[in-house]
Amino acid sequence: MATSNRKRSSVLALCAFVCLSILAAGAQERGREGAPQGQAPAGRGRAAGPGYLKLFDSNMPFEPRDLAGVWTPNGNGFGGGGRCRDCGDRGYSFEFPELTPAGQAAFDKNIPSYGRMKDSADAKAHPEEHIGRRRAQPPALGNDTYGTCNPMGMPRAILYPDPVELIVLPDRIYQHFQWGYGLRTIWMDGRKLPAPDDVDLPRWWGYATARWQGNTLIVDSTGYDERTWIDYFGYPHSDQMVLHEEYTRTNFDTLELRMTVTDPKYYAKPWVAEVKRMHLLPKDFIQSSGWASLLEDLCAPANENEFNRVIRDPSGTGKPAVPVRPAAPTPAPRRR
Amino acid sequence: MRARILAAAAALGCVWLGTATLAGHHGTNISYDRSKTFTAKAVVTEFKYVNPHVQLFFDVTDDKGKVRHWSGELLPNPAMLIRSGWTRKRSGEALQYGTKVLVTAAPARAGGDTALVLRIESEAGEDLLSLGPVLPPPGAAPAR
Repeated sequence: MATSNRKRSSVLALCAFVCLSILAAGAQERGREGAPQGQAPAGRGRAAGPGYLKLFDSNMPFEPRDLAGVWTPNGNGFGGGGRCRDCGDRGYSFEFPELTPAGQAAFDKNIPSYGRMKDSADAKAHPEEHIGRRRAQPPALGNDTYGTCNPMGMPRAILYPDPVELIVLPDRIYQHFQWGYGLRTIWMDGRKLPAPDDVDLPRWWGYATARWQGNTLIVDSTGYDERTWIDYFGYPHSDQMVLHEEYTRTNFDTLELRMTVTDPKYYAKPWVAEVKRMHLLPKDFIQSSGWASLLEDLCAPANENEFNRVIRDPSGTGKPAVPVRPAAPTPAPRRR
Repeated sequence: MRARILAAAAALGCVWLGTATLAGHHGTNISYDRSKTFTAKAVVTEFKYVNPHVQLFFDVTDDKGKVRHWSGELLPNPAMLIRSGWTRKRSGEALQYGTKVLVTAAPARAGGDTALVLRIESEAGEDLLSLGPVLPPPGAAPAR
């Protein structure tokens, strides 16, 4: 009986933890609200505990250079929803960026749909946040290329709440993002990263190399397609951007990521992100159809274009869905 | 065992409470006005279990017999529905064409017949797709 009560208490405690920690993640989605760098905001639902869906004993022994596995920054382990309380939000950084005139012009052209609504009372009530987090408009009025399923690139992809699988090979590491089923290659075969000006053909996923510095994996990358955004709030980057990432496994189930964007064309000084975290999932945790693996969490244009036509655009404009253009009539066969 | 099942269900409900209110997959959440959330008897005309926007199309008939055709999107994507046990087959069976449901939704700020579906209940009162309770906007009157 005592054992049964203990089990029941444990399960209910887990419940309460999941509840409160994920509610707290809501504040992370909206903004830091004055918390210190890298820390979760204070506020409604703030709970004690690790702040994520805890599935391992963090104190188990681990190999610091073994990064292979499925890591998640969200609260449910599967995908979507909010990022976990200690993972950092969808924004790249709460630090105000110092934009150059060219960077400011590029920033002004981007119209995101995440963050506080433009000109709303909510937006006006948070002057402590950079305007990038306070200018959201409905997607129908925005210009996010992700709205038509284009790849997010980096660092935006790592800010999405979906899990990412690190596949470690002798000469490279693949980051396999569940969202979009995107694949980024980080080369570790000793090749040199090209200088931004030497990149002939930009890539949605950029060019990346890595090396170990102690037990931290240092990743440098460049050559990103300029149509990708740094994060969900529409911060731009130019063809001169170099992204510096540092991945450190701090315990059995936690991977920390520190990032710095250097882009002298758009940013007057390097822009540093808060620490982002991901947590290890058991290999067979994500399942569908009895099949354990990352989900094929694709944004397929075949689905998205129709969604945009019948729901996204009417909801943003108030106008009825634009009818599908009828197929061109088949020309009559020629007489011989 | 029963306690464990209840606890698991409660935990997943809380997952929705915490996450489903947070973000549309393309920021679509911002298109809708939660202060105008309504609840109405509806008839399902189509249900799409597709990535990244699960969609429910439904008809609502007013007191004068006039039918309004709504197009709605849901916040959870298929990954989140799978996580809560609402697989494609289960969801599709629960929301077949002609099914009578009670829908709670927030209409588009811009007007028209699109909405963000916040809760779906069967005629028997079952919470379909585990969308969970609807949180009223701060200061707003209860939805019903």
